[in-house]
Amino acid sequence: MKPEIERVLEVCAVALMGDVAPHVAPAYRQASVFGTALLLTSIREELDRIADRRVEENRALRELFASAASVVADPDLRSRLAEAAAAGEPGFRISALEARNARLRQLLIELHAHVETLASPEARRIESEIWRELAASTVRRRLSLNAF
Amino acid sequence: MPRVSDLASRFADYVRHRLPGVADVRVDELERIFGGASRETWRLRLRTRERSGGEQDRRLILRRDPAGSLIETDRRTEFLAYRAFHGSAVPVPEALWLEEDPRWLEQPFFVMEELVGLESRPQMLLAPPYAAHCEKMGVQKWAILGEISKADPAALGLVGALPAVAPDSAWRRELDHWEGVLDADEVCPQPIVRAAIRWLRRNPPPPAQKISVVHADYRTGNFLFDAEGNVRAILDWEMAHLGDPLEDLAWSLCRIWCWARDERRGGLLPKERAVRIWEEASGLRADPRALHWWELFSCVKGQGIWVSSAREYESGKNQDAVLALAAWMQMNAQDRAALELMGHLS
Repeated sequence: MKPEIERVLEVCAVALMGDVAPHVAPAYRQASVFGTALLLTSIREELDRIADRRVEENRALRELFASAASVVADPDLRSRLAEAAAAGEPGFRISALEARNARLRQLLIELHAHVETLASPEARRIESEIWRELAASTVRRRLSLNAF
Repeated sequence: MPRVSDLASRFADYVRHRLPGVADVRVDELERIFGGASRETWRLRLRTRERSGGEQDRRLILRRDPAGSLIETDRRTEFLAYRAFHGSAVPVPEALWLEEDPRWLEQPFFVMEELVGLESRPQMLLAPPYAAHCEKMGVQKWAILGEISKADPAALGLVGALPAVAPDSAWRRELDHWEGVLDADEVCPQPIVRAAIRWLRRNPPPPAQKISVVHADYRTGNFLFDAEGNVRAILDWEMAHLGDPLEDLAWSLCRIWCWARDERRGGLLPKERAVRIWEEASGLRADPRALHWWELFSCVKGQGIWVSSAREYESGKNQDAVLALAAWMQMNAQDRAALELMGHLS
């Protein structure tokens, strides 16, 4: 689409903040217009990476599950990890990628809780990999508006 | 929501009911203001003339329950907390009336005095005239929190009004509550906060040194300050409860409130200094291990609030932009804060 969606969002956000909000009363409505402009700014930031970060994260989780399957003692969990590790993406629609991401992250919670109960060095290795992935997941989602 | 003119007229009816001795009631300059997303907050001018001829002209704040909010709260708790601390070393506005009958304004509400000409927005601390007073405000902020922690809930009349809790179970009650909020409202899996909950249950804190009034949302943004750097009133007591005073200290220190994007907590003071001020004012000790537990707990509680805001927005019950913004910004920041506390932030 031309003009680029990011550019349109940027123009809309700037217009709301600079042209519209100063003329809106009362203050509560004005704050609401500012809030809406900040939402558009965040959408603009997210838009370019919206598919990429989900594809990247889903791939990282599948690799983690493949690496962890041999360490897991519970046969049912091991089987589900192997199945998730072998599955591909359902397509590139955001809704489909997001649903797949949610399933994978739910499985990650189960895996994490399970390896915490295991005493082997391999379990500690998987646990470290999980923490690395969790830290990376917050970098992928971070918005420049965030104070931390 | 009634129209503004209707609201003014209905509130005037309420005042006549509440103050049968007045001959004339005028409500004007009614305006909705931003007062957090858990209540509708209105500012108004109330002028009354008594039959005896005496006149009063007051600026008031009306806080009304919305259909949906960031936090499931109890207006009676908030009202009682304002009443309890009014006139004490903890500055609060005077709370006037609590009305739980919805016939007046469709929703329960309470009324308190307005403190005029003050500021509460954290971003204002980044620029003149407030930026020069951050240290001064920080000293007051944590000294006042020390006073809240030191106060005797029984002497304040809050024992019986707020649910009791034993020193060795305060942590469990809070953790159970906020894990329940996450279970109910989680809009997507939360692997970091779930790992934090498992850690918190494996490593419980020592019993509370005492049972205190816990404000439960004590942070920059929830107090009023003036241009000379004086903290003039502590607001937003809607989550107040009895519990471990370290809960408040930990929440006030949370990383997500580092508005100035530096090490100053609440955009005001470094953590170590804030803790020292609180210890001196409260006469209590912030045991590092216990404080660490409560800081990580703060991340669970914070995430509970942010997922609830996302849930409210998605459900359509409350689509204030602040709910979506809070969810987008703070869920990630809260996860990063939890990772930092668990030693896993890269």
